[in-house]
Amino acid sequence: MGTIAKIHEMLTTKQCSCTELTKSYLDEIEKSNGELNAYVNVTGDEALKTAEKVDKKIASGEEIGLLEGVPMTLKDNLSTKGIETTCCSKILTGYKPIYNATVWDILQSQNAVMLGKTNMDEFAMGSSCETSYFGGATNPFNTKHVSGGSSGGVASAVGANIAAYGLGSDTGGSIRQPASFCGIVGLKPTYGSVSRYGLVAYASSLDQIGPITKSVEDASIVFDAISKYDEKDSTSKEYNGDTYSSLNNDIKGMKIGIAREYLDGVRDDVKEAVLNAAEVYKSLGAEIVYFDLPALKFALPVYYIIACAEASSNLGRYDGIRYGYKTEHYNGTHDMICRTRSEGFGEEVKRRILLGTYVLSAGYYDAYYKKAQNLRGTIVKAFNDAFTHCDVILAPTVPMTAFEMGRAVSDPIETYLTDICTVPVNIAGLPGVSVPCGFNAKGMPIGMQLIGKSFGEAEILNAAYKYQQAAGENFKDTKWGVKL
Amino acid sequence: MKYELVAGFETHIELATKTKIFCGCTTQFGGEPNTHCCPVCIGLPGTLPKLNRQVVRYGIMAGLATHGEIAEISKMDRKNYCYPDLSKAYQISQLYAPLTIGGYVELSSGKKIRLHHIHIEEDAGKLIHQHGDTYVDYNRGGVPLIEIVSEPDIRSIDEAREYVEKLQQVMRYIGISDCKMQEGSMRCDVNISVRPVGSEKLGTRTEIKNMNSINNICKAMEYEFERQVDLIESGGQVVQETLRYDDATNTTSSMRSKEDAHDYRYFRDPDLVTIHVTKEEVEEIKSTLPELPTEKCKRYVDELGIPEKDAQLLTKYRNISEYFDKACEGVKSPKTVSNFIIGQIFSRVETEADKEVFDVSVNPEQLNELVKLLDSGKIRNNLAKATLEKMLDSGKGALEFISESDMGGLDENAMLELCKQAVESNAKAVEDYKNGKEKAIKALVGFVMKNSRGKADAAAAEAKIKELIG
Amino acid sequence: MVTREDVENIALLSKLFVPEEELDSLTQSMQEIIDFADEINKAPASDEAFDNINNLSNVFREDEVVESFSSEEILKNAPEQAENHFLVRNRE
Repeated sequence: MGTIAKIHEMLTTKQCSCTELTKSYLDEIEKSNGELNAYVNVTGDEALKTAEKVDKKIASGEEIGLLEGVPMTLKDNLSTKGIETTCCSKILTGYKPIYNATVWDILQSQNAVMLGKTNMDEFAMGSSCETSYFGGATNPFNTKHVSGGSSGGVASAVGANIAAYGLGSDTGGSIRQPASFCGIVGLKPTYGSVSRYGLVAYASSLDQIGPITKSVEDASIVFDAISKYDEKDSTSKEYNGDTYSSLNNDIKGMKIGIAREYLDGVRDDVKEAVLNAAEVYKSLGAEIVYFDLPALKFALPVYYIIACAEASSNLGRYDGIRYGYKTEHYNGTHDMICRTRSEGFGEEVKRRILLGTYVLSAGYYDAYYKKAQNLRGTIVKAFNDAFTHCDVILAPTVPMTAFEMGRAVSDPIETYLTDICTVPVNIAGLPGVSVPCGFNAKGMPIGMQLIGKSFGEAEILNAAYKYQQAAGENFKDTKWGVKL
Repeated sequence: MKYELVAGFETHIELATKTKIFCGCTTQFGGEPNTHCCPVCIGLPGTLPKLNRQVVRYGIMAGLATHGEIAEISKMDRKNYCYPDLSKAYQISQLYAPLTIGGYVELSSGKKIRLHHIHIEEDAGKLIHQHGDTYVDYNRGGVPLIEIVSEPDIRSIDEAREYVEKLQQVMRYIGISDCKMQEGSMRCDVNISVRPVGSEKLGTRTEIKNMNSINNICKAMEYEFERQVDLIESGGQVVQETLRYDDATNTTSSMRSKEDAHDYRYFRDPDLVTIHVTKEEVEEIKSTLPELPTEKCKRYVDELGIPEKDAQLLTKYRNISEYFDKACEGVKSPKTVSNFIIGQIFSRVETEADKEVFDVSVNPEQLNELVKLLDSGKIRNNLAKATLEKMLDSGKGALEFISESDMGGLDENAMLELCKQAVESNAKAVEDYKNGKEKAIKALVGFVMKNSRGKADAAAAEAKIKELIG
Repeated sequence: MVTREDVENIALLSKLFVPEEELDSLTQSMQEIIDFADEINKAPASDEAFDNINNLSNVFREDEVVESFSSEEILKNAPEQAENHFLVRNRE
């Protein structure tokens, strides 16, 4: 499997050069992207330039870092200087940022080889990647199925071995859900542990950048690299992630909690796979404790109210004046702005802007936004209480497996329900990692989620790593891409 | 029926920080368009604000200088409205938890105009409309402002004028803004309504936006007062609306258009964290504040015996009052210092702008030295006045112009001799005095003063002459 | 109850045009989402304070000038510009 650790070993032992490796990834993208639609922008020239730099370093006998020369991708909502960053929206077509997201500054300084920018739901609003202006990315396990969303392109690319890893963003499950659908690992870090500077905002109090990788070890490596205090982000916490050193710790006696509410309404095959994972944990010496988390009942509406309210404000700036798309024909400034926005945004984005505007408007603020904020406090407290009973919480990532393309578009509320297991973590700002834990009858991957205390990434990655060691058969490779 | 004016102010003041409120770009006025900008202040997607510490400090200073209470916890909110001068389509401001609460501005009558609160926020960019095209410059976008919101306590145009002047004066004193209305670093919106005298109920108000001089504020208020009274008198009703004042025609007109829906949808800005100000920090900031003009003025009157009118002149600008304070150090008669400043020095510093700067060729230490010579009786008033003129011309100290022989006054014999000469050579004046013309004595004293080159003590000379005449 | 007028009003606030023929279906769809959001009003009253996730306070920048970007860079992505300004040209 083309993991970071494997690639690093190949480069340092000179089994291949970084340029050769990069070329083979670019070739595979060329071959498969037509069907996968994972990449919306391939940056081959830049990738090869970096690869050359890494090769020179290796040739001169210099030591290289773990992420150095490893081909990867960024979700298209991460700001990359000089490279188009569209959020897969018509309204940002042609926009080339004049600054880098902090995470990209960090990785670029470590000579990460970026192959290109990957597909996503427009402005990260969606659960299937299908709201993308460029059409959805497909699932490497079955391309008739969705990749999941919103970071569907990253998950599709990593699942299909056309990127070793990628960075996505998670506002209500956008890293974990596609990782689960594509049978790989996705970590949504604690709010404040990774700088949001340069992440095009969807919902600022919920957004968090994190890795999508082939293995738990890789997730740990990438998280440790990007989890740095950033003075540009006021919500960034003085915290430097160190999860790698404790990955292989013994989990004997670890208390793994299962909240009954998380299993409500979950499809049987998914429930069974998660409960099987609990058995694996028992066999590793962990203790399973069941408890109730009634506050979860309100998580989904609370999420949609807060997310849409913030989005309606964050997306006000797309007005055709400073960057991006501008309408051709108009009559005055107001008309220009309205036309630009009406033509530039897709249906789902407009729907969420309208909903967000509604819940913040005079007369409704108290009943919706303020009430949702109060309930957010209740949910935070409920999780704090839960963590007095257990060390980590085990839950399904999604109540189902990847559905067929085209289904999500028909019913917004049904689609919102797919986020039911992922949003609580964003509301409470907690870390959560999705790990493959089985397959359904049709061979589509099932994911489970390990939820940790605030800044408890080390604990959940440790538990996830132990699971991967014990149940490696659930980490299945696909037919696609670079074989190492 | 007689009507009364009811007005409240929302005053925006640009803070004199070096950098913008949420990024490191300079706040310098002017500059080529869009050269004081960065990804943050033009609102590029993905950028985040970081609050300038000095803005909070200046805000607290403004609160303390207006007797407000500093909130222990305050928060930043987003005010959402889409307009080309606002790069993010929201202005980061404070609504639910502003930095300072309450306070007042005291007018010379002793009336207090209460403040509702003061909050911090960012300024918008600048739009230039030309032939229907709109040009946008974001240099000013993100420059820090405080907004001082008063209660509707103002009842006349004179009170309005004094309120604005007092605010301007105090904010300049504490050094947080230059408050230049013509450059837009101080801007006022006025809420205005009318009601029959004696009525307690507030009338429907209108808001006049963005006036750029005190005269315009007064003229606009006058016009709007008349307009509302006329409207009511003729059976109409005042409509709550936002108005713009046109100084060319001296009229107000509605700013509302179909395109503006007014619902700012304020909510807490999730990109910024809570501002927590401790009592200790408030005390520390308080200790750095200069003495404020109103208090200073009272002290000059009560403790230094300066007439109220003069005290107001001395405290109008911080530089003058500081000059005065320094020149007064250790002198017996502060009033003498005041007279020199308001008389001879002011005659050379005529404009208000120059008074504000108060760059005088004679420094306060030099004036202090001169007044001390006078205090000690070493020189007399006339000589001091003449010397000050020479000092002002040259910038040199008093001792450059006063010789040893000028100092120390006249001895007994010389004085007697001069008084005798005065009586002998002014027979007419002596005669007049003897005939009951009290004033005639002045001519004799004048003779002594002139011939002693100002060294004689006028009172002593008068006594001696009266003695001689009998 | 979401009305057509509500939708027209929020569309105006959001600077979005809603074609007349879509107004009814959008009102309907908004009503469904609002009904879903209304779930929260079944929750017991709560005064649980929520401030910010990590309860951070006093994160400040020092008042030190950082060099600005050139106007060329600032205007680089502008759909229209003139004389160093962003421009909205009158197309009437």
